[in-house]
Amino acid sequence: MTKLPKLLIIDDDAHLRESLAEVLELDGFECHQAGAAKEGINAAQKLEPEIVIMDIQLPDSSGFQICQELRKRSKTVILIMMTGRFLSSEEKKQGFELGADEYITKPFDLAELSARIKQLLSRNASRG
Amino acid sequence: MPTKRRGKLAYKILFGFLVTSLAPMGLVGWHLINISQASLRKETLAMQESLAIGFADTVQKYVTTFKNVLTETASLEDFVSMNPIKQQQSLNRILQIHLAVLELSVLNDKGVEILRVGRFLGPTPEMRDFSKEDVYQTAVGPKGQYIGRLERFQGLYPTVTVSVPILDPRAQPARPVGVLAARISLNPLSTMLAMEFPATGKSQAAVVAPDGFMIAHSDPKEIYKPDARMPDDVLKVVTTQSNDRGGGELPLPDGRKLLAAFAETRDLGWIVYVQQPVEVAYQSSDEMKSQILKVLVWVVLATVLLSLIVAGHITAPIRMLRDAADRLGKGQFEDLPEIVTTNDEIGDLAQTFLGMSESLKEKTGELIHAKQELEKFTKFLEKRVDARTRELKAAQDELIKKERLAAIGQMAAVVGHEIRNPLAVINNSIYFIKTKLSTGAEPDPKIAKHIKIIESEIQQANGIINEILTYSRQRELQPEIVKLNHWLEELLSVYPFPPHIELVKLFDPADPTLSIDATEMQQSIRNLIGNGIEVMPPPKGGKITIRTRIPEPGWVQIDIGDAGAGIPADVLDKIFAPFFTTKARGTGLGLAVVRKVIDRHKGRIDVESQVGVGTTFKLFLPTV
Repeated sequence: MTKLPKLLIIDDDAHLRESLAEVLELDGFECHQAGAAKEGINAAQKLEPEIVIMDIQLPDSSGFQICQELRKRSKTVILIMMTGRFLSSEEKKQGFELGADEYITKPFDLAELSARIKQLLSRNASRG
Repeated sequence: MPTKRRGKLAYKILFGFLVTSLAPMGLVGWHLINISQASLRKETLAMQESLAIGFADTVQKYVTTFKNVLTETASLEDFVSMNPIKQQQSLNRILQIHLAVLELSVLNDKGVEILRVGRFLGPTPEMRDFSKEDVYQTAVGPKGQYIGRLERFQGLYPTVTVSVPILDPRAQPARPVGVLAARISLNPLSTMLAMEFPATGKSQAAVVAPDGFMIAHSDPKEIYKPDARMPDDVLKVVTTQSNDRGGGELPLPDGRKLLAAFAETRDLGWIVYVQQPVEVAYQSSDEMKSQILKVLVWVVLATVLLSLIVAGHITAPIRMLRDAADRLGKGQFEDLPEIVTTNDEIGDLAQTFLGMSESLKEKTGELIHAKQELEKFTKFLEKRVDARTRELKAAQDELIKKERLAAIGQMAAVVGHEIRNPLAVINNSIYFIKTKLSTGAEPDPKIAKHIKIIESEIQQANGIINEILTYSRQRELQPEIVKLNHWLEELLSVYPFPPHIELVKLFDPADPTLSIDATEMQQSIRNLIGNGIEVMPPPKGGKITIRTRIPEPGWVQIDIGDAGAGIPADVLDKIFAPFFTTKARGTGLGLAVVRKVIDRHKGRIDVESQVGVGTTFKLFLPTV
């Protein structure tokens, strides 16, 4: 039994966290959840997930700050930003510079999301 | 009123002239008239006095003549002898010669009448005794003569008695042997007065005794009165005079005035009195005065007239100047009245005036020009201000609209964003369910169908949210240079046209170059094509016509037409408003987005629609 990839979802919307987590668990991920930025960073420190999916807007911080924080600790972690609104290219650029790997807009095409995550994982694996 | 002032200066000059020349002349003239009138009156009075004196002489002579006759007769030898016969002859002769002698008497040395002859005596007249009377006493006295005893003969005409002594020349000294007396009529005096002062004239003359007895009068009626007397008031004035001659104005009780002159006879003590009414006496002087006054009036009139003419002549150029100034005042610089420049101060004034009017004309011309310029400029400014105001108003309206749209957009964005979360959750959950079901065997086809419905509705809801967010998002334009035909071809090639729609492309071969934000412009074209497809539902379908052309240099026109039902005119002008829709499902943002995008590209959008024929949207965009 191979170890499942660990995936952390940080969002203040519990329903969204749970539904997304359970869908991705069906696709073979070990999903964890956090409702706020601080909690999310702590969880990431403890769990060391391969993938973090975080909302850009959180009650105690912005997704960009978490993204920056997490990227400092790990070069390999896959950081995916979730947003409910249009982002300007400036914002997207800023996010990528801070270490984000991907943006997804709500509501998500889950099959596509799952495939994209797997692609990013396999790329990381091939880099070693 | 200017006409009211006309000639005022002329009147002033006239008045000055009158005051300075005519008034002194008038005063002197008046004075001279008075002087000459006074001297004339004095002359008149002197004349009247001389008349009185002259007549006094006449009276004296008259009486003296008879006295001399008597004296001569009394000295005759025949007479001295006292021969009655001889005496009677002498006396008769006297009566014959001197008609005025009425009666002659001879008195003896005792004063008794011894001979008496007369015109109206009977044959034996009564002899009277005069021994005690003046007739005798005075005649034989030292005086040697008597003149007196004034009385009215037969109560009618006045007589005077004259007596002289009959002296015996042989006696030394001469001794009176008797007295010769005569009663003499004084009527001839009256006749003479009447001749001198005819009744037709106003003058009267009289001779009176100091006691008022009327001796003679120029008016015969006066003298024949039985008790003819000088009026007492006149008599009083005359007799109280200290001089024996004189005269003056004599006021009468009835208010009239008389010019009176009197003279006393030398010996007799009688007074000759000449009078005439003042107005008659002074007639000539008054006439002179009125004549002179007449002349004076004519002189004044002539002077006034001449002065008026002269003053008018002097002031004529000034009046002309005034008229010219009036015209200047009204701004009539042309056809000024001709100004005659005389060689004096008025001429200088006219010269100055002409210079002034010239410069005034010039300045006024400049002013008028400046005013016209100013008016032109003002109009120009007004136009500018109007245009600017319109622009500002339009900009303000646009701003208000934009602000309103921005507010709506902001709200829509918030709402859209908030809806995306639950939509994502639903999406996740249905995906979970679908995945779970697909792992089991034989899922209920109805459940599968409902899952599909839910997925489709999620897609639709997401589409709506996307539309709203697209419309409302504040995105920077990201222009890129494109060749229009190629860009359109690419866009149309990936557009999913349904089979019942026929696409017609009519591209201008010039293929202009544009600078556009490809993403937004693509969205706009897509919206328009989508609308066209929607109005041509199957099975009938229809044509979508896309045509490009160059309406004028620097612009390109892209027409996107359909053959649908068309848009009614009352709806046509609302279709670009956000959230306006006629569809059962739709945000009403499709055309609003198109409008916004075209506006952002500084272009213009028109729509032409005919109900039952179709609708064509025309996009005008600037080329590079």
